[in-house]
Amino acid sequence: MKAVFLIAVNFVREQRWPILVMLLWVLLLAFLGLTAEPMRHRDDLLFVFKQVAVYVIAFGVFFGSSAIFNDRRSRRILGVLSKAVGREQYLSGLVIGVTIASAIYCFALGLTGSWTLGESGFPVWQVWFLMICLLAACMLAGSIALMFSTFLNPFFAAGATAALMGLPAFASYTSGSSAWGLVIPVDALAAAVLKASFDSPATASWLPVVFALLETLVFWIIAARIFSYVDIAVSVE
Amino acid sequence: MNEPMAPVLEFDRVTKEYRGFWGRRFRALGEFSLQVQPGEIFGFLGPNGAGKTTAIHLAMGFMRPSSGKGTLLGAPFGQAAARRRVGFLPENVALYPRRAEQLVRFYGGINGMKSQELRKRAGQVVEMVGLQDDIRRNVSRFSRGMLQRMGLAQALVNDPALLILDEPTSALDPVARVNVRELLVQARAAGKTIFLSSHLLSEIELLCDRVAVLHRGKLVRLGMTAELLQAGDETEIVARGISAESFTGAVTRNGTVTMIVPAHQQRRIVENIWTSGGEIVSLLPRRRSLEELFLQVVAEPHRGSAEVIQ
Repeated sequence: MKAVFLIAVNFVREQRWPILVMLLWVLLLAFLGLTAEPMRHRDDLLFVFKQVAVYVIAFGVFFGSSAIFNDRRSRRILGVLSKAVGREQYLSGLVIGVTIASAIYCFALGLTGSWTLGESGFPVWQVWFLMICLLAACMLAGSIALMFSTFLNPFFAAGATAALMGLPAFASYTSGSSAWGLVIPVDALAAAVLKASFDSPATASWLPVVFALLETLVFWIIAARIFSYVDIAVSVE
Repeated sequence: MNEPMAPVLEFDRVTKEYRGFWGRRFRALGEFSLQVQPGEIFGFLGPNGAGKTTAIHLAMGFMRPSSGKGTLLGAPFGQAAARRRVGFLPENVALYPRRAEQLVRFYGGINGMKSQELRKRAGQVVEMVGLQDDIRRNVSRFSRGMLQRMGLAQALVNDPALLILDEPTSALDPVARVNVRELLVQARAAGKTIFLSSHLLSEIELLCDRVAVLHRGKLVRLGMTAELLQAGDETEIVARGISAESFTGAVTRNGTVTMIVPAHQQRRIVENIWTSGGEIVSLLPRRRSLEELFLQVVAEPHRGSAEVIQ
C-alpha cells in the first residue's frame, strides 16, 4: 500500500505544472467573484463555474492516457518496476494519482464555487456534491484512459476513451432509456454539473457516483490484466 | 555430503522473440539456459544485439519469455516479491528529477522499506557511491557519470542479495570506476551475488568468478574466468643461454628467449633447449586476455548449440 501511495504522490508531483495551469481556471472564477455583483450576475457566474468544472474531465483523460507512456518513454518505469512493485500496484498508483490531481482541482473549484455561488444563493452543499460527481467522473475517465493506454499511444487512447464514454450517452439518446446513464456514467455525471441551475440545483443522485466508483474498479482490473502481458522494456516510439 | 545451493538466477531454455509491425519475428534469445550461483560475481558478455539486455529484462519481469522459464531468487520471473531483495541498475539510467536523498528514499519506499530505516540508509548509499557532497542537489542537474552512480545508489538501497548491473561503469571516470569495482568486491565479500553485464572486458576479467558469452541470442561460452582465459593448447616457454634464431618464432626479450609453442611440441622443445646448453626460466600454459577470447568467439560461425566449458 505504501508503494501505491508513493507512486500516486510521485505522479502528482510529476504533473505539478499541468495542475497549476488547471488552477488558473479556478483563479478566473475567483476573479469574477471579486469583480461581479453576486446576485446580479449569478447566471454568468454559474455558467463560468459549470464550464470550468467540466474541463477537469478532459484533464483526467489527458493524465490517464499519458501516464504510462511518459514513464515508458523516459524509461523511468524500469526503476519503479525493478523494485517489489507489481504491475497492478503501479496502475493503482497511477489511478490514485489521477484522482488526487483531479481532487486538487475539484477542491479548489469547490472552495471558490461555494464562495462565489454561495453568495448568489446557490446551496453550498450542492456545490460540493457536484464536485464529488465530477471527481467520480474523473476517476472513471482516468481509469478508462489508463486502460486504453496500456496498449495504445496516448493520442489514440484519449480518442478511444472519449468514444467509449460517449457510447452510453448515444445509446441513452437513441433508446430513450435513462438506465444507460449508469453504464460508464461520465456523461451522466458531467450532465449533473452542466444542468445545475438556481431553480433546480440537484439533478443527480448518488447512484451514478457509486456506479462510477465500481466501474473504475472494473477498468482497473482490465487494465492490470492487459498490462501484465505488455513488454514494458520495449521502446514505445 | 553438501547439498548444492539453489541458483539465485536461473534461465531454463528461455526463448524471446519480438514481433514487428507486420508480424515479422526476430529472435533475441534462443533456448538460453544459465545458472548463477550464490556469492559469485558473474560476468555476462556479448557484442551489441547479442541478447544480454533482453535476458536481464526477462529476469526482472519487464517482459515475458516466448518459451521456457526461469527463476529469480527461487521465484518465477515476474514475481514482485522476489525483487524486494534484488538491486537493478539499467543500462540507461533514468531517474525522476528529485534531490538525491529524496530519490533514494523514494526507491527504498516503494520497495517496502520503513521510513526510519530509509533515513539512515539513504545517506549511507549516497556516500558509498561518492555523492555525499551532492546529496541535496537535484539529480536533473547531475552529469551522466553522477547519474550512473545515483542509479547504483538506488540499486543498493535495499541491501540486495542479488545485484543485476547492466553496464554499471560505462559512463564513469577511472577513479569512479575503481570505486565501483571496490564496492562490488565488498558486496561479494558480504555474501551478495552480482550479475554484471559489461563491455569493459578488463573489468570483467578483474572482477568475475565466472563468465558467460552470449552471441546472437545463444550462449557460446560459459566457465570460470581463469579456465576460459587459459589457451590450453599452447605453452609459453622462457629460457636463457640459447640463441633465438635456433627456435622458430622465438624472440629475445631482456636477455631471455620467449617462445609460444603448441602443447604437444613442448617436451621436444624443452629437450632441445637443454641439449643446446640452455636453461628454462619459466614454462606456463599461455593465458589469453578476455578481449582475445571475446573476439575469437564473436568471429566464430554461428552454431546451433552452445559450447559449455563447465
